[in-house]
Amino acid sequence: MLPHATTAQWILGLILVLSSLGVILVRKPVHASLSFLLTLLTLAALYLQLSAEFIAVIQILVYAGAILVIFMFVIVLFQDAHQKIEEEQPKSSKILLSIAGIAFALALAFLAKQLIGLVSISEELPADFGTVQAIGKSLYIDFFFPFEAIVMVFLVAIVGALYIGKKNDGTLMGDM
Amino acid sequence: MDVSLFVFVSLAMFGIGIIGVLINRNALIFFLSIELLLNAGNLLFVAFAREWENQTGLIWVFFVLIIAAAEAAVGIAIFINQFRTKQVVDVDQYDVLRG
Repeated sequence: MLPHATTAQWILGLILVLSSLGVILVRKPVHASLSFLLTLLTLAALYLQLSAEFIAVIQILVYAGAILVIFMFVIVLFQDAHQKIEEEQPKSSKILLSIAGIAFALALAFLAKQLIGLVSISEELPADFGTVQAIGKSLYIDFFFPFEAIVMVFLVAIVGALYIGKKNDGTLMGDM
Repeated sequence: MDVSLFVFVSLAMFGIGIIGVLINRNALIFFLSIELLLNAGNLLFVAFAREWENQTGLIWVFFVLIIAAAEAAVGIAIFINQFRTKQVVDVDQYDVLRG
């Protein structure tokens, strides 16, 4: 028995799985990043299918706009290092690690098999589901304290990143 | 329409992310695999928020996105630091804390 979903959702799910495989299987980091970009765009389309418009927009802005650009910068800055890594042999057994990973994936697939046939969801939604207004309201009223707490987490992360990234003589980046 | 397809896709993505963390030695693809894990969790949050018509799941997706951005910033900083001191991008050789 297969899950009930529209053709578009099946295709999007397939693209998502294939592009995720592309992220971990291609050899060059820049190809992995581009594959990850495809994953992110497909995820945003799936969020639209689940009527979470605001989350889809935020996904593209934060991931494709910010995080992936940082990755691209780092790849461009450290090009020689990535070529070096393919020449050396890994210390750990790649076969054993692959077996462990595949066993884990099979366990997850078995779990997924148990989950099939969940209760069908109703087609009509509250009119404001997933809109900016509704999410903003519950973010700033019901979840105000977690929001402020996570802002502190983010601030600490920025300061920590600057501290780790600085050179010993106190300059940031300096003459790289 | 039910959400089991989304649960399937999310679990597959999580498994792929775990395999990527296990088999990759390049630190950048390692970080990308961790992002895959976070995104698999996000997809599950959105799917169940839709099923139960409850927006709390969407708020948590927002928080996970912030944590993902913070993780990327700190991870890249560690990457740059290690590359500057040891000239490697191989996670097998990141062993200053191994003891």
